[in-house]
Amino acid sequence: MNYLDIANSSFVFIMCGLLIFTVLVISCLFLRHAWKTGLELEISREIMIRTIKSSMTFSIAPSIPIVIALTTMVGVLGIPFPWMRLSIIGSFQYELMTAKIGASAMGIESLGGAGYTAQVFSNSMWVMSLGIIWGMLFCLFFLKKFSSTLENAQKKDSSKIQIIITALYFGMLSVFVGPPMVSGGVQLYTLLVSALLLALITWITRKNESTTAGDWAFTLSMVGGMIFAAFYTNIF
Amino acid sequence: MNNTDSSASIHRLGRISVIITLSMILIVPLAISIHFNIFPPLKNFISGFLQAVMIYLPISIAEFLTFVPILGTGAYLAFITGNLTNLKIPCAAVAMENAKVKPATDEGQVIAILSIASSSITTIIILFIGMLVIFPLMPLLNHEFLKPAFDNVLPALFGALAAYFFLKQWKLAVTPLAFSIIFAFVIINMTTIQFSTVQGLLIPILGLISVLSAVGLYNKGVITKDDIN
Repeated sequence: MNYLDIANSSFVFIMCGLLIFTVLVISCLFLRHAWKTGLELEISREIMIRTIKSSMTFSIAPSIPIVIALTTMVGVLGIPFPWMRLSIIGSFQYELMTAKIGASAMGIESLGGAGYTAQVFSNSMWVMSLGIIWGMLFCLFFLKKFSSTLENAQKKDSSKIQIIITALYFGMLSVFVGPPMVSGGVQLYTLLVSALLLALITWITRKNESTTAGDWAFTLSMVGGMIFAAFYTNIF
Repeated sequence: MNNTDSSASIHRLGRISVIITLSMILIVPLAISIHFNIFPPLKNFISGFLQAVMIYLPISIAEFLTFVPILGTGAYLAFITGNLTNLKIPCAAVAMENAKVKPATDEGQVIAILSIASSSITTIIILFIGMLVIFPLMPLLNHEFLKPAFDNVLPALFGALAAYFFLKQWKLAVTPLAFSIIFAFVIINMTTIQFSTVQGLLIPILGLISVLSAVGLYNKGVITKDDIN
């Protein structure tokens, strides 16, 4: 049997679908829990609904590269397994690399190439599944302690903790801002256009003292930057 | 959510969810291997597994230390659903900013969880649709005109995020941004390394530099409480 017949079989679809469905249910349970806690903390319903709506809209554009990663993976790993990996747990930067590690451990250098048998596919699948479980394991064993330490530190010197958290976040943002500034070209212009759009939208909404447009400011700027990238590349 | 019922119950929900997800992650390849009788030889699996561990264990430790302060108990769901840097962290940070709450506070964690959960549900739905129509979708996603738009999602996302947060708290942004430009310059111009392969490693390094500089500035009084509000 060709390995792709196995990879695309209804059995693999069902197994992967079950896992995705489980995570979907888990997400809904978290949503319900946070909603209830929010009400106890007297966060207004309006703010919580706005958070849900704007987070959903915000997530649409960054999900597109994940769908593109799926299109590049289905040819070599079948549809259901990459679908599952990318829907949950994984990240589109890591999955293909891990699949390759699984194959090369079987002495096969190219995914889906000569010698990529069902057994090699299976090794890719096992390495992808078990190679990236650490974040979850750390949550299981250390998150409770870590988050209560943070909450206590927050109560003791809230300014300092907020500065440290902001600094951590800025460190992460910088990783993605530095490279386009160095490499230039369409990446840099896209970065600048979406930055300018955001500044402009924020300025307009502040002037009008409206808060609702603020929720969509990031989505609008992001999509604006993407549209610019398409026009820029095709015209110049 | 300290010392309250909701604190205990969110950790219970988080731990049970992680255990269920981890079990399912193990069951999927196990069931497929049994059903089709395609177990890889153990030594090949272990060799591949160890290579993956060498890459991802250090990255995961760093991610855990960096992201838990931002997400709090939202980290359970974020690590279960993945795509942290390109989706969950920006989404939660923006949601907390719009709701005017701070990370690591009770309110901040509620907003972070609402945001991460909504974001995961959206991604799951989009990928489900994407999977159903994958073959008709391929020409569209690779369309000559649209492709540059999709290739530049990350610069578009981070341009907007940086413009907002860096301008608001520029004193905290100078050091990490300067170091990021230096690192990027060295890596892009003086080595053959593909920048995206070291991104995971740079997040904790720049995070640490950024924190050390911020704490230094705070202790010297250059950054005060007013700068972060």
